[in-house]
Amino acid sequence: MDPATLIPTPDQIPVGWGCFQILLTSTFYLHVLAMDTMLGTAIITFIHHFSSEGDSLPVTREISKKLPYIIALAVNLGIAPLLFAQVLYGHFLYVGSMLLGTFWLSIFLLLIIAYYSAYINAYRYKTMRAGRMITSGITMVSLLCIGFFLSNTMTLMLHPESWVRFFDHPDGFLLNFGDPTLIPRYLHFVTSAVAVGGLAIALFYTYKSSRGHKESSRWIQYGCNWFAGATFVNFAIGFWFLGSLPKGLIIPSTLIGGLFAFFLVLALITAVLAVIAAMRYRPLPAAGLTLATLLFMVLVREFLRASYLRPWFSPTELTVQSDWSPFILFLLFFAAGLVLVGWMLKTTYAAFDSKEVQS
Amino acid sequence: MNYPVWNLDIFGGGLLIALIAVFHVYIAHFAVGGGLFLVLTERKGYREDNPAIIEYVRRHAKFFLLVTMVAGSMTGVGIWFTIALLNPAATSVLIHNFVFGWAAEWVFFLLEIISLLIYAYTFDRLDRRTHLIMGWIYFGAAWMSLFIINGIIDFMLTPGRWIENHSFWSGFFNPTFWPALFFRTALALIFAGLFGLLTATRIKDTELRHHLVRYCALYLLIPFVLLLASTWWYKAALPPELRTMIFELMPEMKPFISGFIFISAILFLGGLLMAIRLPRRMSSTAAAVMVIIGLLYMGCFEFIREGGRRPYIIRNYMYSNSILKDDLQSVQKQGVLQTAKWTREKNVTRENRLDSGKELYNLLCLSCHSIGGPLNDIKSVTKNFTPWGLENMIGAIDRFHPYMPPFAGTRLEAKALAYYIAFGLNGRRDRTEPIALQPISEAKIPPFNPAADEYVLLSWVDMGMQAMTDASRSWMMLPPGANLHAQLIKRGELPEVVTENVRIEYTIDPAFADPAATIEFWDNASLLYGKKIQPNTGLSGNPLSGTMKVEATGFSADLLPVAPYPAGGGYMPYPEMTITAVNTAGKVLATTKTIIPTATEMGCSTCHGGLWRVDGRAGLSAATADNILALHDRLSGTDLRQQAEAGKPVLCQQCHADSRFDQPGNGKQLNMSASIHGFHANFLDPQGADACTACHPANTNGASRSFRGIHHTLELKCTHCHGSLADHAISLLRAEQEAGKERAAVLMEHLQPEMVADAADIKPRQPWINQPDCLNCHVDFQAPEDDITFNQWTVNEAALFRNRTDESGQLRCSACHNSTHALYPAVNPYGKDLDNQQPLQYQNTPYPIGSNMGCAVCHTVEMDEEMHHPNMLRRFRNQ
Repeated sequence: MDPATLIPTPDQIPVGWGCFQILLTSTFYLHVLAMDTMLGTAIITFIHHFSSEGDSLPVTREISKKLPYIIALAVNLGIAPLLFAQVLYGHFLYVGSMLLGTFWLSIFLLLIIAYYSAYINAYRYKTMRAGRMITSGITMVSLLCIGFFLSNTMTLMLHPESWVRFFDHPDGFLLNFGDPTLIPRYLHFVTSAVAVGGLAIALFYTYKSSRGHKESSRWIQYGCNWFAGATFVNFAIGFWFLGSLPKGLIIPSTLIGGLFAFFLVLALITAVLAVIAAMRYRPLPAAGLTLATLLFMVLVREFLRASYLRPWFSPTELTVQSDWSPFILFLLFFAAGLVLVGWMLKTTYAAFDSKEVQS
Repeated sequence: MNYPVWNLDIFGGGLLIALIAVFHVYIAHFAVGGGLFLVLTERKGYREDNPAIIEYVRRHAKFFLLVTMVAGSMTGVGIWFTIALLNPAATSVLIHNFVFGWAAEWVFFLLEIISLLIYAYTFDRLDRRTHLIMGWIYFGAAWMSLFIINGIIDFMLTPGRWIENHSFWSGFFNPTFWPALFFRTALALIFAGLFGLLTATRIKDTELRHHLVRYCALYLLIPFVLLLASTWWYKAALPPELRTMIFELMPEMKPFISGFIFISAILFLGGLLMAIRLPRRMSSTAAAVMVIIGLLYMGCFEFIREGGRRPYIIRNYMYSNSILKDDLQSVQKQGVLQTAKWTREKNVTRENRLDSGKELYNLLCLSCHSIGGPLNDIKSVTKNFTPWGLENMIGAIDRFHPYMPPFAGTRLEAKALAYYIAFGLNGRRDRTEPIALQPISEAKIPPFNPAADEYVLLSWVDMGMQAMTDASRSWMMLPPGANLHAQLIKRGELPEVVTENVRIEYTIDPAFADPAATIEFWDNASLLYGKKIQPNTGLSGNPLSGTMKVEATGFSADLLPVAPYPAGGGYMPYPEMTITAVNTAGKVLATTKTIIPTATEMGCSTCHGGLWRVDGRAGLSAATADNILALHDRLSGTDLRQQAEAGKPVLCQQCHADSRFDQPGNGKQLNMSASIHGFHANFLDPQGADACTACHPANTNGASRSFRGIHHTLELKCTHCHGSLADHAISLLRAEQEAGKERAAVLMEHLQPEMVADAADIKPRQPWINQPDCLNCHVDFQAPEDDITFNQWTVNEAALFRNRTDESGQLRCSACHNSTHALYPAVNPYGKDLDNQQPLQYQNTPYPIGSNMGCAVCHTVEMDEEMHHPNMLRRFRNQ
């Protein structure tokens, strides 16, 4: 069976594909930041419970208190890229998700479990003992499962040649273990999350240090160590991932291949610099470089997807039926929303600030 | 056609989306109304300078956050995931058309999250005014989310001008946008009151609890005014055809509509009850129950809205099974398997019919029907059908079920789909082998001595193919009632038809003399006909053995209650009747035999469930009869099933006129023939003559095989004389239409005539009066040039073959040729010459009386004049 015959016909889009690509890339970038912080801190918190003092460390308590908010933000920021990905690649994404439909649908249940277990951990932290490990373990495992299912979906959608398996397994239990990139790709994301989680801890205590917190330096170092260690490991996983890519997939002489290689090199450079900064316990430069690294890696991911889909589809093929007014209205809402968010955060920060000063 | 289909089996039929969506929508409405509740209650606390109220708001806000932001938000994500799995094509349309609507909603969702987190955790951190502003921002963002989602959801129900211009704004501000927005806003406020009660009833301080419970009750009650007004507006804004379908044509909607009305009252009364000072435990229990009732309330509304969209997922644009309305005809032409991308089988063959049927099921049915699940279980809704029956139903599924999409496949695909469902899932089969009949021993033909006998006695029934219904406990359409006729001819140079000084006696075969022991007709007759009928006598009072009534040229005994069940058990649709002519002195002048064709082999169980009542071959079972009434009730809004269950069986002719039994009906409904043929033609018409034998006892593999005359031997089909079922039905319906019966047009809407170009070309006719005539083909009694006749009807009842006489006006056509469908020479399935006893008795051939120049049967001299009809003095053509 020719896999090309299985690819659904895409729908028309209201504005040029480039707009959606920018929106997809930028919102995914924001999502990755939140997601990495969420998953990374969840993993680090869970690991704390295995150490003798980790259970009672202030950092564990702080993360537990804040994790529900980070989950809320990560989920919200995940909606936009999923929306824009559907606009550009929906006809691949829907098929990919259907292959593992049962797992795909379990994502929202896992989210609820992760969310509520995080809330229980936050609200009952003081009263729980052994329960802390269980609740934080549930949160972490749920989030890891979600990530794994998303990795499967996102890779299955890139392989129309593997879709025919659905005819023999139409019950939505297919995973993409046949793809040698799946495991390194997934581990690359998870390890990156651990690194960002560590960095988030370092940044949080950098902020606390600026507010006069005394023991901050220990936790800044602690966070930086997590970041540096995880990133070291991730270099290895990244090369494993790179090596697992199908031969001939990336052709550096093509525009997409060239851009892929270019941003990958940039990401490597900024990542190395970020590790160096972290090893010197300078979280702010490390954070700046990590932001750059993540941006480059998000771009690399987009070019990788384009390379995979090149034989089948390019967003440039989508038909445009121009309807700009909703787009403009969205931008206005978006801008106004950002202003309002800014005002709310500023006002709240100011109130907290003044209370802290008063106290 | 574009996407694969996730095989959900028992979880299909919308169960997943129903579970997730109803819960999410309930919480999502609470998330909107609850936002306003929070800020107004907080303001109330400030206004009354009551810290206890503020403390209540703080606690309620935390509860609100946990419910709405976790369960509410995550199930919202769940809906997204679910619809993309269940109907990716429709999801894709919604995403691509409203992407910036969704994107704007995402912005408001972000605002909701941030403002609510700030609001819930800063009661003692922000100043009152700023804190209230945070609450207002939350409510504004939440309501804007509702505003946007409402536009997209109602687009699916009433896309309005979007269908023509595909403009975002036309689709968004669709015809039901505003009423739905007000309606949902009212619901949101009511739900906020409900959840407010849940937390307020748990307050320990009695005074504060009563105070806030009453406040929450008001919050619940006041929005009902807005809800009532917006409900009326919402309903009025629906396109008329949609309104009719939801509120009149979809019986499935009734429980939800009734439920919505009933729960409205319950919630309102509950609100009033809560305003009374109740003990804490009682009020908190009542509040919890009301929250659950609120969920059911939401469910009722969502089922009505979702159901009302049927058969579309985006009304007038995309059917529930993802086929675009504009593509339907081309898909029907090419076939689903050829058109769909995700099919392994591209053509239906006998070998792959289960596999291809399953693929068709997945593509066409699975989006709405589960397999064995709690919602829309396909096994349950099709359990009454055999593959053949279901094939016919599928082919016309949308005609009387407007909430079903038209079948998008070819006839062969309908067959495969039906086979998969009816056999593959339900294990039902059609009969493929002929029923084994037990022929009776060779007929004992009464003696006749041409040299000495003075009389010839001829006898026949007026209908050679006759059926009766034997489910009289439930309903009655065809009572037992054969009309027996006889003519006594005195032989001579000029034979004469004798009617004076002679009586004709008839005696049923003793095995059939006690039909009251085999059918329940007499137990129910008085309920059906309003008069007591003695067992084993017919509707006109005639017994099964007696003396015939004298008529102008012969004798008759009408409505003889013959049943096809012999005393020893089994089924034999050709009981024998012995007829004897006796003079006034008691001397027997002549004796002959005829058979009384009476079948109960009506194939209703093919589509109406149940099994044959007798020996797996004949008779209506109670289950079949019950289903027929149930469907009549569902489609016509009657309560016949209830009536029958209450012990009053239904007489079809009470409403549907039937000239055959002199039943005038109620004057409003279609006559019996027009109604029953008109309705069933919509399903069965493509089956040609098989459509006729599905109900009439003429299936060549069946237990009756009542079409057995010479025309059957010559391989004519029902359709040669009666036209296709559609032709036949249209002729009857057109007469009813001319009589002002509106229903006729409804039944004719989809019928395509076969014998003529246009339905309007078919001449209207009355059942049992205007029938095809023999002379249409046998012009001037000559050999026919054509074997098809249609649209030429007998002008009146007297012109019917069964009532007509020869040119002398003395001899009835049937006397020599036998009755319709059993014309001599007939081949009876239970004994070759069972029908031919009289020609064999009088002339030793099975051919019509007097054929092969056999005038000597009656005439004692050579005849050279064709006095009965032209072209009679010749050898029989089909020997």
